[in-house]
Amino acid sequence: MTDLLLFQLRRVGRNRQYVFFTIVLPALFTILFTQVFGAQATTAGGQQDYGRLYVVSMMAYGAIGAALGATIRLAFDRSTGWLRQLRVVPVPPGTALAVDVAVGALLVLPSLVVVALVGRFVNGVDLGLGSWLGLVAVLWAGSVVFVALGIALGTALDSQAAGAATGILGTALAALGGLWWPVDILPSALVTVAHATPSYWYAQLGRDVVAGHAPSVPTVLVLLAFAAVFSAAALVVSRRRPLHAVAG
Amino acid sequence: MPDTPALDVEGLTVRYGDTVAVDALDLRIPRGETVALLGANGAGKSSTLNAALGLFRPAAGRVRLLGREPGEAIRAGGVGAMLQHGGLPGETRVGEVLTLVRRRYADPWPVEDLLTTAGIEGLLGRQVDALSGGQRQRVLLALALAGAPPLLVLDEPTSAMDVEGRQVFWTTMRGLAARGHTVVFATHHLDEADAVADRVVVVDAGRVVADGSAAGIKSRVAGRTVRFRCPGPRAGLTALPGVTAVGGVGELVELATSDAEGTLRALLAERAELPGLEVRGATLEQAFLHLTTRPTDERSAR
Repeated sequence: MTDLLLFQLRRVGRNRQYVFFTIVLPALFTILFTQVFGAQATTAGGQQDYGRLYVVSMMAYGAIGAALGATIRLAFDRSTGWLRQLRVVPVPPGTALAVDVAVGALLVLPSLVVVALVGRFVNGVDLGLGSWLGLVAVLWAGSVVFVALGIALGTALDSQAAGAATGILGTALAALGGLWWPVDILPSALVTVAHATPSYWYAQLGRDVVAGHAPSVPTVLVLLAFAAVFSAAALVVSRRRPLHAVAG
Repeated sequence: MPDTPALDVEGLTVRYGDTVAVDALDLRIPRGETVALLGANGAGKSSTLNAALGLFRPAAGRVRLLGREPGEAIRAGGVGAMLQHGGLPGETRVGEVLTLVRRRYADPWPVEDLLTTAGIEGLLGRQVDALSGGQRQRVLLALALAGAPPLLVLDEPTSAMDVEGRQVFWTTMRGLAARGHTVVFATHHLDEADAVADRVVVVDAGRVVADGSAAGIKSRVAGRTVRFRCPGPRAGLTALPGVTAVGGVGELVELATSDAEGTLRALLAERAELPGLEVRGATLEQAFLHLTTRPTDERSAR
């Protein structure tokens, strides 16, 4: 299990695109968006508010990309025949899947930490150490929703569709869920759409912590519901189409 | 458990929708044998091997590898396999994949010898995505051999290799067999089966249609075909000397015989005329086809 985990972490970690879209880009956006929107604020307090909002949004954005990107890759490992090959190697059943879940969960952390550091030291977002740690902790825990979604898609899609889905889905979840701009400035129809996305509620976890309180019960329940639906989907798909089944 | 067969398949039936790929097939392979599953594409070779490896659940039948459930036997390190649809992970180097797989076995094949045996010296640092078809196949062989497993299952292992690659590959296989490994391989190349296998199992339409030594199969293969037109009854043709199979379409009768002369003597003795008589030497391919494509009425009578 450890061997396979390290093996998979190395493979994903050396993918430059992955590192760019899950760490570098969210970090750059954190600076950019805070500058653009923060400039509208007239007071130091207003600027602080934008800084806080965007550090949370970009941590969420990076984490979603990292979780999805690391798990949708299942589709690639199926299409090359690697997952089938692993079936004829002494590996306990379910290990390949468990490892990819762990890889998805672990690779969320660098995105969260790097964006938080940029928020603190580049943008000067002023939060206590406890709040920073709490922020990383809740967003790490919440990323299970996107790990489950990525696994479901990775088992269901062929490799081409999976490649496209990673990019499109990350963008759509960010745009519609209000990670790139504050939901407050959107027309009411789009607010309704935002409330239907898991990304909105995921970022809400962080906004609650930054506001100085624990995540609200509805937020947690909505995210649990998303996680349950995505996990169930992953389970159903992998029953019908085992990981070692021939692609296509 | 050295007495349990290396591979034991009973009543194996595999269906894809309405198509029966494997039809109540029985196959028992004792330890130490080298066995070729010979058959045309779609004969059911791959389905048999994949079901034997536990890659899918068959519609019916029982499979044991080294006396255990397939998954158990694999996890115990007893089985190595080259699959038709197996492959290597992208974004890795050959050495990393090999190390990963070798570490899964308690007693892996010593690495230097493994590299030489599989013919992949110098490829360890190579990106998997940069391998040629033949190199890829040899790396997959190295993975199959990584645990020095007592049972090797190879599904069309040489399909991506050139002629030279094939020769090296089969020399390796003969070496393994000499060291006591059980080698079961599927192929549609008669020459491969002939050169390597102690035993050849001919599969057609999901059933075993011939099972014997390579020499025995070859003698059937090396027979002659006697053809003539026969409007009347055909009773007794199978009982003629040397006749191994009776076929033909419409009036045309086609007798596969291991003793053309004897068959002809008997035919001429009992029949006044043999219109359109032809005696042909069967090529390997013809004879193999003869073994595997019988008229349906004859097959259902068996």
